[in-house]
Amino acid sequence: MHYSSLLTWWMISISWCALFLIAVSTYLYLKTREPSGSSGILGKAKDFIFVWILACLLILYILTINNSSAIIFIAGNVIVEIVLVVYTMRNRGKKT
Amino acid sequence: MSEAEAASRLSTFGYNELPTAKFSGLKILVRQFKNPLFFILLAAAIVSGFFEIRQSIVIIIIILLSVILGFFNEYKAEKIIDDLRQSVSLKAVVSRDGKTNEIDSRQLVPGDLVSVYVGDIVPADIRILECKDLEVNEGTLTGESFPVEKNYDAISLQHPIPQDLTNCLFMGTVVMHGSGRGIVVLTGRQTEFGSVSHSLVRSRPETEFQRGVRKYGNMLITLTLVLVVAIFVLNALIGRPIIDSLLFSLAVAVGLVPELMPAIVTISLSHAAREMAKKKVIVKRQVSIEDFGNMDVLCTDKTGTLTSGRIALKSYLPFGEDRQLLEYSLLCNAAVVGDKITGNPMDSAIWEYAVENGLQHTIDNYTSIDEVPFDYQRRMMSKVVQKDGRITLITKGAPESVIPKCDYVSASGTNGTSNEGEPIDHFRKVLEKDLAENSRAGYRTLAVAYHPVIETKQRYSVEDEKSLTLLGFLVFTDPPKADARLALDRLKILGVDVKILTGDNELVAAKICEDLSIEMRKILRGSDLTEMSSQELREAAEEATIFARITPEQKLDIIKALKADKHVVGFMGDGVNDAPALFEADVGISVDSATDVSKDAADIVLLDKDLVVLANGIEEGRKIFGNTTKYILMGTSSNFGNMFSAAGASLFLPFLPMLPMQILFMNLFYDVANMTLPTDTVDMEVTELPRRWDIDFVRNFTLFFGPFSSLYDFLTYGIMLFIFQASPALFQSGWFVESFWTEVLVIFVIRTRRIPFVTSRPGKWLTILTLACVAIGTIIPFTRLGAFLGFTALPINYWILLVLMVATYLLLVDAGKVFFYRVCKF
Repeated sequence: MHYSSLLTWWMISISWCALFLIAVSTYLYLKTREPSGSSGILGKAKDFIFVWILACLLILYILTINNSSAIIFIAGNVIVEIVLVVYTMRNRGKKT
Repeated sequence: MSEAEAASRLSTFGYNELPTAKFSGLKILVRQFKNPLFFILLAAAIVSGFFEIRQSIVIIIIILLSVILGFFNEYKAEKIIDDLRQSVSLKAVVSRDGKTNEIDSRQLVPGDLVSVYVGDIVPADIRILECKDLEVNEGTLTGESFPVEKNYDAISLQHPIPQDLTNCLFMGTVVMHGSGRGIVVLTGRQTEFGSVSHSLVRSRPETEFQRGVRKYGNMLITLTLVLVVAIFVLNALIGRPIIDSLLFSLAVAVGLVPELMPAIVTISLSHAAREMAKKKVIVKRQVSIEDFGNMDVLCTDKTGTLTSGRIALKSYLPFGEDRQLLEYSLLCNAAVVGDKITGNPMDSAIWEYAVENGLQHTIDNYTSIDEVPFDYQRRMMSKVVQKDGRITLITKGAPESVIPKCDYVSASGTNGTSNEGEPIDHFRKVLEKDLAENSRAGYRTLAVAYHPVIETKQRYSVEDEKSLTLLGFLVFTDPPKADARLALDRLKILGVDVKILTGDNELVAAKICEDLSIEMRKILRGSDLTEMSSQELREAAEEATIFARITPEQKLDIIKALKADKHVVGFMGDGVNDAPALFEADVGISVDSATDVSKDAADIVLLDKDLVVLANGIEEGRKIFGNTTKYILMGTSSNFGNMFSAAGASLFLPFLPMLPMQILFMNLFYDVANMTLPTDTVDMEVTELPRRWDIDFVRNFTLFFGPFSSLYDFLTYGIMLFIFQASPALFQSGWFVESFWTEVLVIFVIRTRRIPFVTSRPGKWLTILTLACVAIGTIIPFTRLGAFLGFTALPINYWILLVLMVATYLLLVDAGKVFFYRVCKF
């Protein structure tokens, strides 16, 4: 069965979902009473690493599905997993 | 009064019993249905009946199981309390038809002639007609630790309070000394005791936990309604058949409801109740366990909870030889010393002190010659004793009575056998100052004096109580309990602020605080509170540590003020005057030895007067709260995520992303995996501080973690549609397995803030059941049941992608957790 006509719909749906998550993360970050104290563009960018990861994941998944490439999917997931482990280890130690 | 007249009056006035809540299995059963989630689940069961009657029956069975579980656990706990109450039946010695008999105090009627003796609990309100040395402890009614003297003299007062009525005995108070006889004037709920307990026969205020569940139910209803209407309207608008659209939107609604929540909560609570019962803590109302854990303010009565409720000899202040003072106190003493020490509490306290310190045999060489008994006019007693041929008259009593009879003060180095020492006039100011200080600090003081007898007589009298030499003072107090300090320290560590609410004066309460190292921020008296507005009272209640000289109504106001200030308030007390406060508090805590009415008002009853179990109970409550919260957070967010993506997919897919019965099956199967959550281990930081229901937190959690699940659902759609070109059955099978894996395995990530399995290990049964469910969920598409549900076998390549995808999902949620808890405090 061929569903190529649904690709645009699918991309809109998954993008909307990822953007919703990014919006909620940003809202929660701005709402927090105890900001990390980071200043400057670089500092804020560091606070938003998690959001950058989400954005990268979205691009990876759209690319994978658009190209129907299992290889990109596997390689991309492995890289993202490593990045997530590093992010979690570094931030858990400092902040939680 | 005749028996016939008594029977007639009994039918007029009713039984002499208090309006305590009756034990009723029906009431307990009805209580199980008063839960908003019950109605949501019932609706879900009816709705699911449209799709698949078997699913509907399963949901109804689950609802019934949780109701039965809750009923039996609460029934068992209340039965224990009821049995305890039944075992304490009061007897009364009554004269009818010229005969004196002991009858059940429930049978007493106004007009009965009743006798009371030492140790009796007064069975009704009685006007005293005759008495001898009668002293009664009215602490259960007034909060006063020390016994009050009673007499039969007429009193002329316009609006007397119970403390003023020295010619009356009140129901529930205890005879400490002497005996009396009087006529019953009031029985049952008409008594002072009954008027206090009467306020308890009203509906219980909603606990913090119940408020939280109600708000959670409301949030769920709102979310469900919005989604159901939106899905139905959008599906209808894009041209789907109306019936299909309706059935699918209702299936999503069912998918959103965590139908096992009542069962999970009940299992958690009954598990905690069983654990607490092993530690001699009876939980009367299971719903109070979580509030017990979340309690951040503990208001406690002083007498009998922080203090022993028994008078003890605190110290003795000799002017001469200290040993002599204690010897003479033991000799001039009215306590009855046998296997147990009974009688006048202060005389008993002297004996108890002597026994504890091995000094009781110091008087063995004395011979008793005569006694001049105590009476309330003189307020002292004397004893004439002989040792080595020397006769001495010893007098002991109220300092204001004894000092005027003294000419000398014993000096150091004297042996107490002759009038040696300094003239008392030199010391009057010092003595008065000492006595005033003791009195202000809430201590009771007795003076001991002696006089060497020159003239041997057959009988001695009050005339011989003169030219005495003051030997010293005995200072009595109601001491703090041995374990109170330890318990309070643990409560402090657990983040529970302790406040003392007492009818005693502020100095006594402050002394107890000092003895127990309770931080005293501010002391308020009842009279200070009467002038305050409700706002001022809220501020004062927040700030003060001690509330002294307060009435039962003021205790109630303070608890209401603290609750209004968003505190989860516990109240611990054991007297009748504590009952309304026990009732109003989020958690009412009493002890087994407390009055029936206060035990009845309490949520939790300590079988042992061991305050340390309080702290244990709080920790247990926090564990339960932690596990219930895990279920709610995981259930709501994953259900929301899955249903959100199902709703989205239904808009662009040419077929339903999952059939209604597949959604119901997955939802029920997921709940089974969660059944062992109540036994899960809880991280230490969860029990460190009190937490409370925060519906905003639950909403934020759902909005944040729900889309993670949706993101991976959409990714699965993409894989199934554009890589595998899946048929509807293959698509639904692929999404079922992915959805189930992510939904179930995320338990291990969300259950802790730490690194899953590395720094926080899940409970054994949770791990086993979850992994078993994942295994079963994985093979279902390959089985007949899977075929029956509309699933089909999945290709091997899909499993490789699935493992990678789920691993990334779990790591992403873990990273999201780090981000989330950094910005959302809970």
